[in-house]
Parts: sequence; structure tokens; C-alpha cells
Amino acid sequence: MHASRTFDSVTVGDELQPIAIPITLQRLVMEAGANRDFSLIHHDRDVAKATGAPDAYMNTFFIAGMFERLLREWMGQDGRLNKITGLRMNVFNAIGDTVTFCGKVARAENESRQVEVELWSESEKGKTVTATATVTLP
Amino acid sequence: MSEPVWGKYGSWEEAEQFLGKVIGEDPGVDAVELGSIRRWLEPKEFACTLHTDAAAAKAAGYRDVVAPSTMVFSYGLPAYWSPGDPHAVMGDEPRQIPIPVIFDVPAPCTLSFASNIDMEFFEPMHVGDRITRISRLVDIKHKELRVGKGAFMTQEDTYTNQANAKVAVVLLTIFRFVPPDKSED
Repeated sequence: MHASRTFDSVTVGDELQPIAIPITLQRLVMEAGANRDFSLIHHDRDVAKATGAPDAYMNTFFIAGMFERLLREWMGQDGRLNKITGLRMNVFNAIGDTVTFCGKVARAENESRQVEVELWSESEKGKTVTATATVTLP
Repeated sequence: MSEPVWGKYGSWEEAEQFLGKVIGEDPGVDAVELGSIRRWLEPKEFACTLHTDAAAAKAAGYRDVVAPSTMVFSYGLPAYWSPGDPHAVMGDEPRQIPIPVIFDVPAPCTLSFASNIDMEFFEPMHVGDRITRISRLVDIKHKELRVGKGAFMTQEDTYTNQANAKVAVVLLTIFRFVPPDKSED
């Protein structure tokens, strides 16, 4: 048995249930081992700081994956993720930050049953990442 | 601690010669499988039975468990070490993620960061699939930012499965630069 959001139940302006996640060195190390991006800036605090970052920080794969989780929890099992575009990292999501992933329905296209969702992450530093997703709902 | 340096060093003229060309091709080292999916879900606290339970995935129209779409990056990566490769010794350069636009395209830069990404997904990745990534350099835009002078360099990654079906196309833009006090001019 599985639940899914239907296209007909969606209204422009609907907000997705936000997801907050604390960024710790342990989480970054777990993530690097899982997604296999071993760039030092994402798990070596000294190297990250030497490049001008405040600390080791989330990599692109981690951020994209968190947006996918946000969308999946909203869509349910039958929705399809088509695109994530314009993903722009404006501020580092670094150790010590609690990053909240958010979304809001921006457009719904009746014929294709496609929904455009505005995505962003935020922390005490403000909006850290922005993107747009397109999904298809049953 | 020594200064971190990322990327292949060379001139902008050399970089321009790679525009439109294949700059990297990697058959992913691991097939799509349950263990790597579970470890990927774990740090994200991501619970979804499409990615863990074949019955749930089949009920949603898939033939088996599917990997999350954004996991395609990981399945397109080669091994960091394979049998026959030299063994590491203390003092070796650390292994970095093989991003061709940084490590295979020469540019007069010492640092880099990812700035933009666009992803489009096509065929799902089922357990057992094998993913290959082909990267092309598609754009170079020179720019001076607060962090330094350099260029936004974009690679287009096409991911396919073992049947040569398109799984994803990703545009990855990296800003490669030299910090202000290291600029040559």
C-alpha cells in the first residue's frame, strides 16, 4: 500500500513540509562515504577554511539528494522527478548550520500533469541554495 | 599546511581547445545495488520504500527497487583505487573526485567551487543497472568575483545505462579561479 499526491489536489502556492537537518562533521563524512565525493573541502575542516569557507560544507550531491527527499516526501510513491534546474549555491552549508530544505508550488500544467516547485534551503545565514524542480503527478 | 591547489594547470587558450569535446568518460565502478542505496539514504534520513522494497517499487510501476534519481552522480564515478594500481604512501596527493572540467581541462587557476547545476532525469536506475558518464566541455565564461579572477566552466554529463538508454543529463558549472593576491596580472 502506498500513498501519493495527485495532480488535482495541488494548488499553486502550496508549501512542502520543510525538512531541517543539522550539519555535523560526522554527517558530512557519512555522506562523502555514501556519495563518493571525497573532495577535501567537504570533510577536512582545515582545507575547507584554507579555501575561504567557514568550515567543511555540504557538497552538491548531498544538497540535490536532500531536495529529492523533500520532493519525494511531498509527492509520494507515484510522482516522478523530471528535473532539478538552476540549482545555485549562494552560501556555504557548513558544520554547525542547521539547514532547512523548503519548497513551494510555483506552477501546475493541466495537460501534462507537471508541477513546477520552487526549492530553496535556508539557515541562520539566510537562503543558502535555490533551485526549481519539475515533477509529474498522477 | 600547504596551499590547496585543485585542477589541471594551463592557459586559457589550452582550455578553449576543449570546448565541445569529450573531456571524460567513466563507466561507474559499482552497479546499482541495495547496500549503496541504503548508505546514501542514511545521512539524509530519507525513508522511501521505492528505494528499499521491491514490492513497493513494483506497486509504483517499476520492475524492481530503484535508486534515487540524484544518486546518478555516484553511480557514474570510477574507483578511487583498483587492483593493480600503485599503493599509496604518506605524502601522496589526496584523491579528489574526478570532475573532468577541473582535473582534465587545463586552466590558469588554483581553486574551484561548484556554482550551478541542472539535472534532467529519464530512465530510472534499477538494481543491477550499470551507469556510464560521458562529459563534454560546453561553456567557458570569464568572470572576476570577490573570491578571485577566473571563469565559469560548464561540463555536460550524459549518463546512460547498460542498454545505452539515457538516464540523466547534468550541466555542472564550476568556477575555477585564482585568489586576488595570486593573480598573475
